[in-house]
Amino acid sequence: MNERLSARRGLRLPTAVALIGMLALAACASTPPAPTASLDAAKQAISNAERADASRYAAGELSEARIKLASADAAITERRMDMAERFAEASRAEAELASAKTAAAKANAVNDEMRRSTGTLREEMQRTSGDKP
Amino acid sequence: MNATIQNINFSKTLIATAVAAVLLAACATAPVQPAGSAEVRSKLTQLQADPNLGGRAPLAIKEADLAVSVAEQPQADAQLAQHRVYMADRKVETARAQAEARFAEDQRPALSEQRESARLESRTREADAARNQVAAARAESAEQKLAADEARGAADAAQLAATNSERQASELQRQIDELNAKPTDRGLVVTLGDVLFTSGQADLRAGATGNLNKLVTFLNEYPSRTVVIEGYTDSLGNEDYNQGLSQRRADSVKTYLVGQGIGSNRLISEGRGENAPVAGNESAAGRQQNRRVEVIINDPRGAALR
Repeated sequence: MNERLSARRGLRLPTAVALIGMLALAACASTPPAPTASLDAAKQAISNAERADASRYAAGELSEARIKLASADAAITERRMDMAERFAEASRAEAELASAKTAAAKANAVNDEMRRSTGTLREEMQRTSGDKP
Repeated sequence: MNATIQNINFSKTLIATAVAAVLLAACATAPVQPAGSAEVRSKLTQLQADPNLGGRAPLAIKEADLAVSVAEQPQADAQLAQHRVYMADRKVETARAQAEARFAEDQRPALSEQRESARLESRTREADAARNQVAAARAESAEQKLAADEARGAADAAQLAATNSERQASELQRQIDELNAKPTDRGLVVTLGDVLFTSGQADLRAGATGNLNKLVTFLNEYPSRTVVIEGYTDSLGNEDYNQGLSQRRADSVKTYLVGQGIGSNRLISEGRGENAPVAGNESAAGRQQNRRVEVIINDPRGAALR
């Protein structure tokens, strides 16, 4: 009797502790709702990159962004919202990288063209001044 | 007994606490930094230290720094840790690309200046070359023009000379015609009729000097010409008298010419008497023709005028 009592009393505490542990786990692993904001942000970033002609200057990043967006959509249909959120974030990051690389490539192309035309002018001058006595 | 129960209770509590702690730890703590986070941090540090890029995308670099810090936090969920590292890496890359774009843009004014100076130099040289060519062409054409001008000048002078001598010749011809002078073997001969003189007299008739005045004009015009004035008579009367009369008449003409300003050194007067008649002395008309003064105009520089 005493034993059972003490066992019952002994059970109470571990049960409470276990409950706390469960709650803690639940807080850690809870499933969030569909990450619409992140998905919208990714879509926006992709269309920005497309408009900047990223398919020409940063094709790898742009296609990676599209693949990640598609993966996010797939995760949503499987109700794995945390995964969907990460894919959406990754898609946006890739798209933003594509835009930044495109801008850098364009800026460098302009500079290269300027250097080239300056070089051509100087070359031409040397040739003409070489021809003249 | 009580102590035993308490002992058992205590150990059970201990176990439960430990289980809960392990469960919590699984969620909240991991002892080491997630794999890959150190590499991302090093990438970011490299970007920040780059003298050309470090200060050029401050916002993006700050964002990347934040993402790297998040990625560095120990994370039991390996997938989440990997995701965070991945996100940090993308943000570092994005910050680098933005800084590169900004750097390129910042270089542009200098590049533009270089190009402009090259263009200016090139244009200057082109202009100089063109100017030199123009100058050379101009010099050449000036030379040609000068030559042409000289040639034209010579031609003009020749033309003028030709025109002048032509005009002079035609003028001379006109005056000769005016004088009614006839070209003969002895030169140009102007025959002044007996109308100049009263019969038997040597004085010039007043109002009969028109033809002589033409001679004066001519001699004034051609100051190098000299003349020989020859007096002739018909065969009526004494030959000696006629000789003297013809001499006086020639002298009279000479005197008149000298009076008109012709130098006497240009004038020679001769009496030829009744010799060298130009017509028969039988008729009055013939005798009238023989009574005359002939003026022979000579050109001392060359042949007599014809």
